[in-house]
Amino acid sequence: MSAGSPRGEALARLLGPAGPELGCEECFDLLDRYVDLELAGQPADERVPGMAAHLEGCPACREEYESLRALVLDDTA
Amino acid sequence: MGDAQTHPPGSAAAERPTAEWWLRNLRPGGPEHDEALARLHALMVRASRFELGRRRAALAHVRGEELEDVAMQAADDAMMAVLAKLDEFRGESRFTTWAYKFAIVEAGVKLRRRAWQEREVLLEPDLWGALGRADGAAPASEGGELRRLKAAVDSELTPHQRRVFVALALNEVPIDVLAERLETTRGALYKTLHDARRKLRRALAAEVEAGEVAP
Repeated sequence: MSAGSPRGEALARLLGPAGPELGCEECFDLLDRYVDLELAGQPADERVPGMAAHLEGCPACREEYESLRALVLDDTA
Repeated sequence: MGDAQTHPPGSAAAERPTAEWWLRNLRPGGPEHDEALARLHALMVRASRFELGRRRAALAHVRGEELEDVAMQAADDAMMAVLAKLDEFRGESRFTTWAYKFAIVEAGVKLRRRAWQEREVLLEPDLWGALGRADGAAPASEGGELRRLKAAVDSELTPHQRRVFVALALNEVPIDVLAERLETTRGALYKTLHDARRKLRRALAAEVEAGEVAP
């Protein structure tokens, strides 16, 4: 599958992340920590394993992550 | 990662309450309880309106007053959730980041549900054809992979897994909307989707290993 083409991207999206990932509840529990680590320049993906994969596979959690990150950034601007 | 307490006097950060201040004063009997409640509510309103601003384009068909009501309801619900879960704050993030997430999620869920209020949730794979036509210039192997994926959805998944996979992954129904329609939870639905995706990846990989298709 060539992920660069629209159809390849669609297949990748349908099949989701292949590696271990958090569930939605765990994502909610750890989201604030993940965002603050990331904005502090810390290795958030190492410290919160499975979060990046979940955000790739779950559009709703991804939206909430992006909003929280943008809001915290806006606060510190 | 928690709130620092050593900001220089007079700096903007020095005006920001510490996590200890929030926890002490948000609890009943705290010396500055009323001020803490008012500040928390202001944070929840700010986060809900922030989320509304990001989602407004998808809600262009809904009156502004109604959206403002949705945002205020989300702020109120988020505030209740924060107060109920104060003991769960572990200090692994700033208190405001922790509190904000409740309002972001409450507002996000309410706004997604409002956006889909008049829309039908398709549980049938009507969009396979559209997906197949998405890129006429795609390599033939990708078209074949799509057909094999469709066949695996039909042969490998349980009826419930198939409905959830089709709605969430194929038809892109928001997970909160589907959870509400099916009277289940977001976590339970994502677990079903995760299991379905794992079955499908295994089925596709098994075909390659068996030499039935090229890798």
